[in-house]
Amino acid sequence: MTLGPFFPREFAQGANDLTSVEGKKAAGEVIEITGRVTQADGRALDNVVLEIWQADAQGRFDNPDFFGWGRAATDKDGIYVFRTIKPGACEGRAPHVNFLVLYSGLMRALHTAMFFDASKDPVLDAVDPAVRRRLVASKTNNSYRFDIRLRGEHETPFFDD
Amino acid sequence: MAIDIERRDPRTQSQGVEPGYEQTGKRWPSQALRRRPQTAAELAGPVAVQRRLQPVRGDLAGHGAKRAIGQLIHLRTRVVDEDGAPVAGAVVEVWHCNAAGKYIHPNDTHDAPPDPNFYGAARLVADGEGLVELRTIKPGAYPVPDAGGWWRPPHVHFSVWGRVWLSRLVTQMFFPGEPLNEKDAILNAIRDPQARERCIARLAPADNYLIYDYQLVVRGRKGAPSLA
Repeated sequence: MTLGPFFPREFAQGANDLTSVEGKKAAGEVIEITGRVTQADGRALDNVVLEIWQADAQGRFDNPDFFGWGRAATDKDGIYVFRTIKPGACEGRAPHVNFLVLYSGLMRALHTAMFFDASKDPVLDAVDPAVRRRLVASKTNNSYRFDIRLRGEHETPFFDD
Repeated sequence: MAIDIERRDPRTQSQGVEPGYEQTGKRWPSQALRRRPQTAAELAGPVAVQRRLQPVRGDLAGHGAKRAIGQLIHLRTRVVDEDGAPVAGAVVEVWHCNAAGKYIHPNDTHDAPPDPNFYGAARLVADGEGLVELRTIKPGAYPVPDAGGWWRPPHVHFSVWGRVWLSRLVTQMFFPGEPLNEKDAILNAIRDPQARERCIARLAPADNYLIYDYQLVVRGRKGAPSLA
């Protein structure tokens, strides 16, 4: 059964590259964040909308040359891709990228966060140690892999705010 | 920017897995959502999302030979925070199906006809009073495929950015007096009747044409004014 929200495809286009804004290039290490979104039976999900929010390379949120918000949608294989700058640590937080997941069958948007390693962090510490690793991306060259399992085996921890 | 975000009241939110809406059982997490501390990262923005997302289409109804089929309506939406203060410059995305109940989306397999003059998606920026106006046509009700006779009532999807990451809101607006509202699995997933009421637009009383007033209340109590 197919049921909305049929989030318009055009809404998710052209917003997954955070390395520049209004023609200005951000300083810092350019990285890719990619992953696959799956449901309880392991099936990959198409047109899942993912939004991210992150600090710049120095851990700031008010840099006029870097806009830390972006959006991507998964393809038929459930894969999303962002191009961005590796965030720095900010005010008592380890470097991280906040994620929001929007999809049909989700009655409300799901919040989670991706980390670059298992450093001390108050949000990461709010997750049971047994599953904390699921919020830490795996690195290959300049690409970070962060898979999102909505439900079931290896389920991603999500946050209530 | 100092901002204080109240926790959500669970009575105003779906619990996630809804009987009668099969996909929720495959997609909503089985583990309880974790409480996390609110830190500067979740409370700092984004501000002015139009830096990355351009406004598109201020009018979905069209004119003359390009007029979409269906009942012409005006949607007048105000973006406010929990204290009723307008969120000036908020970016609002709106999308809905055509008068026959068909979305522009390729994944909509429903066998209703598309309308060549209707492209059901707009992105708007609220004015200084948090106001967003959209001329469009009223969406149709439609049966949900393979859902045992569940028809979605006419509804409009909204996505809005408040002042910070935690005030992001994606929701649906319903029309007053629609018989299908009473049974809809999505609207009635909200247990609190007053919260359901807030999802239903009101026909503007002072006008003699079809203006629907709707409030999008985003989180962000006591948001400090920006002093740039």
